[in-house]
Amino acid sequence: MSAAASSLGPGCLTASAKATTHFHNSHNAKAVSLPVSANRNSNHTFFSFNSKVLAFPPPLSISTKSSSSVKTAVAAVDSDQISSSDPSDNNKQQEAKRYYFVVANAKFMLDEEEHFKELLFERLRLYGERNKEQDFWLVIEPKFLDNFPNITKRLKRPAVALVSTNGPWITFMKLRLDRVLSESYAAESIEEALASNPTNIEFEKPEKWVAPYPKYEYGWWEAFLPPGSKEEAKV
Amino acid sequence: MAAEMALVKPISKFTNLSPKFSNPKGFCYSKFSTIRMSATTQPSTNKPSKKKAAKTTAIKETLLTPRFYTTDFDEMEMLFNTEINKNLNQDEFVALLQEFKTDYNQTHFVRNKEFKEAADKMQGPLRQIFVEFLERSCTAEFSGFLLYKELGRRLKKTNPVVAEIFSLMSRDEARHAGFLNKGLSDFNLALDLGFLTKARKYTFFKPKFIFYATYLSEKIGYWRYITIYRHLKANPEFQCYPIFEFFENWCQDENRHGDFFSALMKAQPQFLNDWKAKLWARFFCLSVYVTMYLNDCQRTAFYEGIGLNTKEFDMHVIIETNRTTARIFPAVLDVENPEFKRKLDRMVEINEKLIAVGESEDIPLVKNLKRIPIIAALVSELLAAYLMPPIESGSVDFAESEPQLVY
Repeated sequence: MSAAASSLGPGCLTASAKATTHFHNSHNAKAVSLPVSANRNSNHTFFSFNSKVLAFPPPLSISTKSSSSVKTAVAAVDSDQISSSDPSDNNKQQEAKRYYFVVANAKFMLDEEEHFKELLFERLRLYGERNKEQDFWLVIEPKFLDNFPNITKRLKRPAVALVSTNGPWITFMKLRLDRVLSESYAAESIEEALASNPTNIEFEKPEKWVAPYPKYEYGWWEAFLPPGSKEEAKV
Repeated sequence: MAAEMALVKPISKFTNLSPKFSNPKGFCYSKFSTIRMSATTQPSTNKPSKKKAAKTTAIKETLLTPRFYTTDFDEMEMLFNTEINKNLNQDEFVALLQEFKTDYNQTHFVRNKEFKEAADKMQGPLRQIFVEFLERSCTAEFSGFLLYKELGRRLKKTNPVVAEIFSLMSRDEARHAGFLNKGLSDFNLALDLGFLTKARKYTFFKPKFIFYATYLSEKIGYWRYITIYRHLKANPEFQCYPIFEFFENWCQDENRHGDFFSALMKAQPQFLNDWKAKLWARFFCLSVYVTMYLNDCQRTAFYEGIGLNTKEFDMHVIIETNRTTARIFPAVLDVENPEFKRKLDRMVEINEKLIAVGESEDIPLVKNLKRIPIIAALVSELLAAYLMPPIESGSVDFAESEPQLVY
């Protein structure tokens, strides 16, 4: 009935349909889904994922060029496997996978940035709707931080990291959160990648809460802790 | 009418944009505050087959809703040409493109029969105010659709990634506008968006100003929607129309759109890193916040109708938007200083006087004479608010080297 719906509808549908097909691929770096024309007119700026922060694998279309980078190639293959609907992770634990993360103090991540909670639940809902295996977690006091002295010296503790195998998504989260540090690492198994030190998380009640709604409840993040670490984190 | 004149006339002094204010309620702060537009996109539109009376009402009302804007598309093409501008942080854009392609809300906007039932139950002044809310929001979303659609088209050659993001954002805006327009059909109205596209005047803003203003409108839109959503979730007795239940997912779109403008500005550091940028950043914050405050204070019935205290709601939205904005703008206003709210409240009082003059029986000349001192008072309040000591701010990406920065 409405003008918008009738005139805009077809366009929306096309866009939506397109987006679905992309989605299943798009969580690995290979299928960042660059339009063909992008490849054509791209120069080094286009593919130089030169951020100090993230070195995610280049699109597969040019992987021949960068085949010298063994690690990158492995990561690309791995993330490809994750995106397939094969749930048997155990078979792949021999191969190193690339994990990307943003990290900041727990208060910032879990207490102050309420939109962060909304983004994570939105993504979880989407993964449920599309039967996609979860590839992002919250890690409280992650052990992998020991390998990043340049990060830990600037970090208030306890720290919380958002970890994902989806590099571009972590780049997006860095853009959104801004006040976070970002890096990546390789790990042999998911347990190793997401290992954490038991920590008690406590937040003081905000001095003045003037919002016309209650705060999100303490503990909302438990849905995102790595499997098996939930008891530990509650200590 | 006086409201927006009062508000924007002083602003136009600074900007030399000479907006035309034939259109009194011309700014919609509900979502898309000041800026959004495009001149050329003209989607073919099937005319809604509503009864003529209903349609006429709709058009008349919509002439009072947000303005459409256009920009310098050639300059935009230059700005995002990867050949010319090699500093573009393409990985942020690629990441954003993946986010927009994911299309979180692809299946979200599905109506149910509760809409019509709720609309039928709504009578009297609240009904009127709801219709106005839907119209303003729909027009605002639609104006975003037009601007983004056109930018998506124009940037295709020079920067396909940025262009595709614009197109996907126009998909979101179209969806939102369509959903709101269906809401209007619950009230037996429909906006003729094709007519609007052709009939409305377009206001021109340079790309730099489009960035500041759209960033702020998207972020303030997020804070408005999420605040209403969470308030109603906690106080369901005020849930009088089901559209609010869609706000939680809906406003995540707005927030992501804002992130894109954030990335656009980071890719154009010349818009962020000098004293002029700081002055403009403060100016846009002030104009967006003040406009929203004055606007909403004229529509307290709407906010009270859903159980909110208008001024508290607005201050919460302003403070949160300002905190968000401080992650990208090089300077923001000190809105948490109680003096800022006092100034806003004085502006509301002055604004009420202006409205009273407009509604008086005087002849136009007398009205205009009476307006002069009132407008002068408003200008001086605005100027004083603008000159309050600002807060230095910006993305930490520009401050990485600062060793004292702790995360």
